Amino acid sequence: MRHGRLSPAVLRKYGFIASFLAVPLILYGYFVVAQYIQAFQISLTNSRGISPNFKYVGLENFTGLFDNDVFWAAVRHHGLILLAMPLATIAIALFFSFLLNLGGGQKNGRMAGVPGSGFYKVVFFFPQVLAVAIVGVLFQAILRPDGSGVINSALHAVGVDPVGWLVEPNLALWTIIGVMVWQAVGFYVVLFSAGMSSIPKDVFEAAALDGAGRFTLFFRITLPLLWDTLQVGWVYLGIAAFDGFALVQVLSVDRGGPDNATTVLPLEIWRTAFTYSKYGVASAWGVALFFMTLTFAVLTLRVTRRERIEF
Amino acid sequence: MASIVLSNVDKIYAGGVKAVNGLNLEIKDGEFMVLVGPSGCGKSTALRMIAGLEDISGGEISIGDRVVNHLPPKDRDIAMVFQNYALYPHMTVEENLAFGLKLRKMPKSEIQKRVQEAARMLGLEQYLKRKPAALSGGQRQRVAMGRAIVREPQAFLMDEPLSNLDAKLRVSMRASLNQLHERLGVTTVYVTHDQVEAMTLGDRVCVLRDGLLQQVDTPQNLFDSPVNLFVAGFMGSPSMNFAYAELTRDAGGAAVVFAGYKLPVPDSTFAEKPGLDRYIGKKIILGIRPSDFEDSVAANGNAAGWVRIPVRANVTEELGSEINVLFTIDAPPVEHKDTVAAQNDGDEEETTLPLTGDKSLWTARVNARSHVRPGQNIELVVDTHNLHFFDVDSGLSIGHEANIGR
Repeated sequence: MRHGRLSPAVLRKYGFIASFLAVPLILYGYFVVAQYIQAFQISLTNSRGISPNFKYVGLENFTGLFDNDVFWAAVRHHGLILLAMPLATIAIALFFSFLLNLGGGQKNGRMAGVPGSGFYKVVFFFPQVLAVAIVGVLFQAILRPDGSGVINSALHAVGVDPVGWLVEPNLALWTIIGVMVWQAVGFYVVLFSAGMSSIPKDVFEAAALDGAGRFTLFFRITLPLLWDTLQVGWVYLGIAAFDGFALVQVLSVDRGGPDNATTVLPLEIWRTAFTYSKYGVASAWGVALFFMTLTFAVLTLRVTRRERIEF
Repeated sequence: MASIVLSNVDKIYAGGVKAVNGLNLEIKDGEFMVLVGPSGCGKSTALRMIAGLEDISGGEISIGDRVVNHLPPKDRDIAMVFQNYALYPHMTVEENLAFGLKLRKMPKSEIQKRVQEAARMLGLEQYLKRKPAALSGGQRQRVAMGRAIVREPQAFLMDEPLSNLDAKLRVSMRASLNQLHERLGVTTVYVTHDQVEAMTLGDRVCVLRDGLLQQVDTPQNLFDSPVNLFVAGFMGSPSMNFAYAELTRDAGGAAVVFAGYKLPVPDSTFAEKPGLDRYIGKKIILGIRPSDFEDSVAANGNAAGWVRIPVRANVTEELGSEINVLFTIDAPPVEHKDTVAAQNDGDEEETTLPLTGDKSLWTARVNARSHVRPGQNIELVVDTHNLHFFDVDSGLSIGHEANIGR
């Protein structure tokens, strides 16, 4: 089998593997890789996306980026989202999943969640089921700046003036981050719950005998043993932080406003390409976004990498 | 150190299943108590109730002078060793050992001292910086043991700690456990389904079945005078031979008659087992330990009270120092619920093939000098001083002190 000739057995083996790989690889190659390569190509041209005639302009589109205030605003927003959104989501999801799975302490010999945790699990997962556009529309009603918004009318009842959640330039981005967190938490509760249930129960029992209270149990046992799952969650959320297109598009004033206070790169790419019809420039933005996401993913995997925990 | 007392302890699971039923047990200060029984007999549940990992449905458990029913596990001052070790996978051996002490806010120097001491005692010194994943099963088990030792608790609770180890390691760990207990003298409750472990480790052994206490005694007493058919069948390997027999008495003295054999019953037996004479002329279940047989040739010139019976060896198992001779006797197998329970899941072995038809398969353990071969006819001698008699209906041992008046 190892003498390099293609014996029938070898052919059969690799033919079997190839038959599984062929379709996804072709689809991926054509619809993902080829498009990226084309985007790299277009980013070097002055294409307007309408006529097939365009000129190569070198790195002009990229140098233009550095002088563009909107680009830098969007990058700054991504930075803020990247800092706040994963952190808040993971913290809240961890807290909930700990309560749901272990917070109730010992019950009939096994660790249990707080009473009613089966019900809460379903409730927490609801936002994940809704399409992002629907979430956007829902929150438009909730966040209306006048007294008839759900939150503002509640605030009014306790005597607080209406808050312009989405119209205050200093507040709008944070409001949108809040909605992102609201939508993401459910999924990560489920993810972390699965992670927690894969930790052997007798480890928790041993810790309880060793004198660990709920606090110690969480920080000294659960969290370190959940590290791998946490890392996965962090990468997912970080990559999601470079998106935010749909929510900003539906929810924000003026699509990225007020005054570009909430705009994100995908939204600007979309606008540059389809509103201003500057395909070359839009592709350059896209290439920039590609490298940002890639850098983030590689950095995260590098930083969080450590010895795998074996049970 | 302290004694542990269970009085009328119940454990009822949702659905009404009684895992532990009115358990009364006193474990003395410094004693090594083994809870043994087939799977599902409630032994682990009882242990976990002592640890505080299970609620107590009824009754009272006290450790030392304190009733601990409502104390959380960490306040009971006990340490537990789990079957699957339950080491913290993200901590080194050293951190594993020190974890419980750190949580109890012990000074660093004291922690260091205790960890070093336990590591030396268990031969773990060179592994202190390793994670559990880099240790073998036996080493992990020693770490689990060490985690209990450093705490210097009132009592050790061990839940089948050796059952994940391979056979050879289990034997050596058993010896180490024995030494450890000698040395530390800490009250220990040990759960196992392996009757050999129970016999070799326990100061006293408590046999449980279906949540009910069957008998608590020293291993030798359990072996010599089991309280009922279940204990008789469960303790001892190979297990006791049973047959329906009739107790008779004529001019020549008392005798048991079964399958064409007639074994005289010495007068001393009637003295030891009060109430046995009331069964004369009635059916009983006779029990004979395999070790109470011997090859008549090898046992040439043995003492009085040994009776010869001719048998045909079907199978012989040569163990080197002795031979197990399996032979059939012409009597239907004893199908009492107790013997079935003791056979079925005693050691998680498969039940024997029904090759013997309507005959009972008996085992005799004879000296290796016998050189008996399968198919040979041999003459066995039986020590009639050690016959066991059980009531056909209740399965209780006739004349056992615990059964008088029952």
